[in-house]
Amino acid sequence: MAFDPSSLRPLFPILSQQAYDHPLTYLDNAATTQKPLSVLDAIQGYYLSFNANVHRGAHFLSDRATNRFEQARDTVASFINAPEQSHIIWTKGTTEAINTVAFGLEHLLEKGDEILITSLEHHANLVPWQQLAFRTGARLRILPLTSNGKWEPEFGHYFTDRTRIFAATQISNAIGVSTPLPTMLNYAKQQGAFTLVDGAQAVAHHPVDVQALDCDFYVFSGHKMYGPTGIGVLYGKSHALEILLPYQTGGEMVRHVSYQATEFNVLPYRLEAGTPHIEGVIGLAAACDFLNAQDRLALLAWEQSLASHVYSRLQKEGGIDIYSPEKNTTLVSLSVPNIHILDLNAYLDSQGVAVRAGSHCAHPLMAQLGVAGTLRASFACYNTMEEANRFCDVLLEAIDLLNDE
Amino acid sequence: MTDSLGQQKPVNIKAQLQACRSKEETFKTLVTLSKTLPRLPTEEKTEENKVKGCESAVWLIIEEKDGLRYFKADSDAKLMRGVLVAILSLVEGKTLVDIQKMDLTAELAELNLSSYLTSSRTNGVLAILSKINTL
Repeated sequence: MAFDPSSLRPLFPILSQQAYDHPLTYLDNAATTQKPLSVLDAIQGYYLSFNANVHRGAHFLSDRATNRFEQARDTVASFINAPEQSHIIWTKGTTEAINTVAFGLEHLLEKGDEILITSLEHHANLVPWQQLAFRTGARLRILPLTSNGKWEPEFGHYFTDRTRIFAATQISNAIGVSTPLPTMLNYAKQQGAFTLVDGAQAVAHHPVDVQALDCDFYVFSGHKMYGPTGIGVLYGKSHALEILLPYQTGGEMVRHVSYQATEFNVLPYRLEAGTPHIEGVIGLAAACDFLNAQDRLALLAWEQSLASHVYSRLQKEGGIDIYSPEKNTTLVSLSVPNIHILDLNAYLDSQGVAVRAGSHCAHPLMAQLGVAGTLRASFACYNTMEEANRFCDVLLEAIDLLNDE
Repeated sequence: MTDSLGQQKPVNIKAQLQACRSKEETFKTLVTLSKTLPRLPTEEKTEENKVKGCESAVWLIIEEKDGLRYFKADSDAKLMRGVLVAILSLVEGKTLVDIQKMDLTAELAELNLSSYLTSSRTNGVLAILSKINTL
C-alpha cells in the first residue's frame, strides 16, 4: 500500500497520548474524527485576528470575518461540487439539516402521501420523517435491507406515485453498508419525489459530487470529517431550497420587518436564522482544505484496507458475528454470542482502545439484525495497521476473559 | 460475617476492588465478582423489576424483612453484575434510613468504580442507587 499514515500522525497530536498507561488507539471515527492542527489553528486564528459578527458591522474586523465566512461557503461548495455557494446552508449538523428540510417541506405534504426511507437510517434520518408523517397524515415507508445484508434485487415498487420524499443514507453508520444511490435516486425522481442524501458517514472518506449524484438535498456534519463540532451543511438545489419554508425565523434571515409582516432574505441567508457558528464555519473550511490536500482515493483505499484486514482476521478466528461488509467499507461492526458488547467495550477501553458499543442510533436496524447492539471499530486516515491489529488482539483477549468457562 | 446471599464478605469485596491499580485490574476483579451473583430466574426478570436508564438490562428486587433491606439483582452484562455485587455489598441488610444516610457515590469511588458513575453509564448506576434508596 502506497499510503503511509505515519506522515499524518504529527498533524493530530491528540493521538499520541496514553490512555490508562496504554497507547491510545482511537477507532471511534464514525462517531467523531480527531481534528488536524490546521483546523485548530484556523479556529484560533479567527478569535485571534478577525472575531466579529458577520454581515453586520461596517468595520474592519466585521468585513474580514464576513469575507472569510463567505469564502468558507465557497470552499465547502467546491468540496462537494455544488454549482454555487448560495446552495450551501450552514446548520448545527446533519440532524438540524434534515429537520430543516422536514419542516420546510411540510406545507407540501398531504394525507396519504408517502415518505420513503431505507432500513439503514440513523435516527436523525428517521425520526424527523416519522414526526413529519404524524403531523401531515403522510405515510412513512421503509425500503428494507434483506436479512443477509443485501438489497432486494427489485426494489422499484417501493417508489410509488404517492412518494413525495425519498431520504437515504449514503453509508450506514451502524454497519458500513452503502446504498445503491444512483438507482434509488432514479426511481425517486421518476416519481417526482424530493430526494435527500445523508452524507454524514461518507464525506470523510469519499469524494462527493452533488451534481453527479443529482439529489435535491445533501446533508453532512463537520465533526465527522476532521472539522469542528456544531457545524454542518445543508446543500440543496435552488428550486428545492426555495420551496422550503424557514424552519427557524429571527435575525439574519430577514430583509425587512414590521409588526404586520416580514420580508425574508434571499438564499442562503433565508434559512440561517440568528448569528451563525462562525468559528465552526472557519474550521470546517480548514477541514475541507486538509482533505483537498490529500490523495483522497489513497486515503479511502487505506481506510478500507484496515477494515478488511480486521474483517478477515476476525472471520478466521470464528465465533464472531460480523455485520459489516467484507470489503469497500471503513468500519467493522460485530457482536459475540453470549458476551455483552458493553463488557467487550469495557475491556477494550481498559487497554486504551476506543470503539463504540451500542445501537448506533439505529434501533429498528438492530431489531432487524436481531441484536441489541454491536461493537463498532471505525477507521480514519490516521489509523495504522498496528492499531487495526491491536484492536483484534485486545478484542480476542476480551473474548477469552469473558467467555464462560 | 457473611451476607444474606451466602457469598463473599463485604470487607473482602472492598479490599479486592481497592487493591486494583489499573482499569484492567478493576475489570478483571469485576468479572470475578460477577460470578458470585446468583442469576435471577427468568420469571423475576420482569419489566417491573427492570431499572430504567441502564445501557445494559438490569433487574433489581428489594425485599424487606424486620425493617432490613435485602436485594436480588441481575444484568445481561457481566461487568454490571460485578458492579451490582459491589453496590449490594454496601447496602445489603441495612435499614432504609441507614442506606439513605450513606454517600453511595463516594463509597463506590473509593472502590475504584468512579468510571462506572461517570461516562455513559452514569444514569444506569445512578438509577440503581436511586432505586435502592427509595421506599
